[in-house]
Amino acid sequence: MRLRAAVSAALASAGILLVGWQSGAHVANTGSTAATTSATTSNGTTSGAAAGGGTKSGSSGSSSSSGSSSSTGSSGSAGAAAQAAGTYAGSVVQTRFGAVQVQITVKAGAITDVTALQLTDEDRKSVQISNRAAPLLRAEVIKAQSAQVQTIGGATVTSDAYLSSLQGALDAANL
Amino acid sequence: MNSSLQMVVPGAARSTPVERFRGQARSRLFRADLLTVLAWSSVAAAIALWLADGGATGFSTLAGSFTALGIVAGLAGMDLVLLMLLLVARLPLIDGAVGHDRALEFHRKLGKPSLYLLLAHGILIAAGYGMAEGLDPVSELVSLWVLVPDMWLAIVSIGLFIAVVVTSLVAVRRRFPYEFWYAVHLLTYAAVLTAIPHQFSTGALFAEGTWQRWYWIAICIATGAALAHYRVLEPIVATVRHQLKVSRVVTEAPGVVSIELTGRHLDELAGNGGRFFIWRFLSPGAWWHPHPFSLSAEPVLFDSSGRGRLRITVRNLGRGSAQLARLKSGTSVAIEGPYGLFSTAARSRDQVVMIGAGIGITPIRALLERTPFEPGNATVILRGHSEAELYLGAEILELCRRRGATLFHLTGPRTTGKQGWMPESAVRSGHRLASYAPHVAGADVYICGPTVWARSVISEARSAGVREEQLHNERFDW
Repeated sequence: MRLRAAVSAALASAGILLVGWQSGAHVANTGSTAATTSATTSNGTTSGAAAGGGTKSGSSGSSSSSGSSSSTGSSGSAGAAAQAAGTYAGSVVQTRFGAVQVQITVKAGAITDVTALQLTDEDRKSVQISNRAAPLLRAEVIKAQSAQVQTIGGATVTSDAYLSSLQGALDAANL
Repeated sequence: MNSSLQMVVPGAARSTPVERFRGQARSRLFRADLLTVLAWSSVAAAIALWLADGGATGFSTLAGSFTALGIVAGLAGMDLVLLMLLLVARLPLIDGAVGHDRALEFHRKLGKPSLYLLLAHGILIAAGYGMAEGLDPVSELVSLWVLVPDMWLAIVSIGLFIAVVVTSLVAVRRRFPYEFWYAVHLLTYAAVLTAIPHQFSTGALFAEGTWQRWYWIAICIATGAALAHYRVLEPIVATVRHQLKVSRVVTEAPGVVSIELTGRHLDELAGNGGRFFIWRFLSPGAWWHPHPFSLSAEPVLFDSSGRGRLRITVRNLGRGSAQLARLKSGTSVAIEGPYGLFSTAARSRDQVVMIGAGIGITPIRALLERTPFEPGNATVILRGHSEAELYLGAEILELCRRRGATLFHLTGPRTTGKQGWMPESAVRSGHRLASYAPHVAGADVYICGPTVWARSVISEARSAGVREEQLHNERFDW
């Protein structure tokens, strides 16, 4: 009788795991397709910002933006006046939920737009959090015209990385 | 003479054409096997939830592999914790299939594995996340505590789980009073409750809108509801319904008393079900102390309304039991139960052998009263140091005489070794279990007594050809 229980339990468990595995393989395929698409898009928009060039090291969420901040704007000179218009990409900040990088659009010394080039996308939950937090952060930043804004509750890691990358872009734009 | 043959009913045992208990045993074993399959399947299902979410893709990087293994350990660990809670929830399905004591045994066996899984979960996740961010696992834990909502609760939870399991280890448990262990064990509920928030808020697998979230919510709620219903609500209902009150306390032998209780609707407690209850005597200073005892007699009904009498017989084992001898009549009694399988519900054969030692004789007394057998088909073996320790011996003799059961009194000092359950003189005479009960291989064997003694009887019964489904052992040492 014990044998019967052991064999049935083993078979049932194996079956359940197999079903899980099968449906998981499907999810993994669609996931990787989505990742490829988004990579293409971000490559298309950010010519200058080397993907993954700005790997960050050190504590997470802190304001250290040691990554390279490259300007894709028209003004080439580093010491140019901050009034220069153009787009500036921030550093790539690594978090446990994926990399974050933002790009700002500057016109007449003001931040007119913030675009997220990469957002935490490690898993569905992170994507969900990012999609909620990014528009809020964008609005806050445009209103405050700086990286000194409140982090979004429930999206602390994403917010910190977002603002950290933003600071890099602001530095690059000399704002 | 230490081993004396008290009475024999001669005559060939009439064997019924169809053994009436075979079907009952088959059904019970099927339910036990089904529960085993369900338990293992639930662990597999927890991991399948993660596989179905594409979790296995995490293994593409080293950091991802650590995180993935951590998630699997957490899922399996939480599933085991829920199973442990269900095993102590006193579900009728579990109690009727394996019995209260076996359920507790499985509960204990799962304790360490689930703790190891939860510890592995914490360590692997900290390592995996840390690697992804370039942090060492300790700094990662600190950052999780500070930055990620609900994570500090999860870290507190693991500390509580460690405390609960460590205080339940046999070696540690012996050093502290039962009450201390019990109080710490109640922290399990805090440990589980503090572990739950991070599973839903941080665990991506259970993000809003996923079917996995619904499954996990369902099993958590079902477990909580089972506990609330069967451990809180049912006992209250039973207590209010039966209105048990102590009617008198009778001294059976030095340090042994029978407590008689009157109550209502006691007809519902007759039948084939368990005879084991947890009793709380509602007097000042004693009400909070739960006593696990089996009935030492079948419920006696005064009339058709269900009013009647219950009896338990207890030995002065500890501080709590000592108070029982001084119980006043009229004391109200709260009960949880009946539980257990030391009853007709466990029968699988027509013949029956009942073996009791010390205070373990008293549940045998209740079983002997009504479990069905033809005259000559039952053997009762009582073991004690002296005749005076064969509690309720006179009642048992009378029942054996009336029902046609063979009774043996085995008295005398114990021996060591394989036949340790018999007195020394019986071992020297070359007696075995089959000497007393020649039909033991084809009988149900009920065993109740101290753990070491019972183990010796069980091993002897097995070597006499008794199969697992025929062995019924009630442990009362916890």
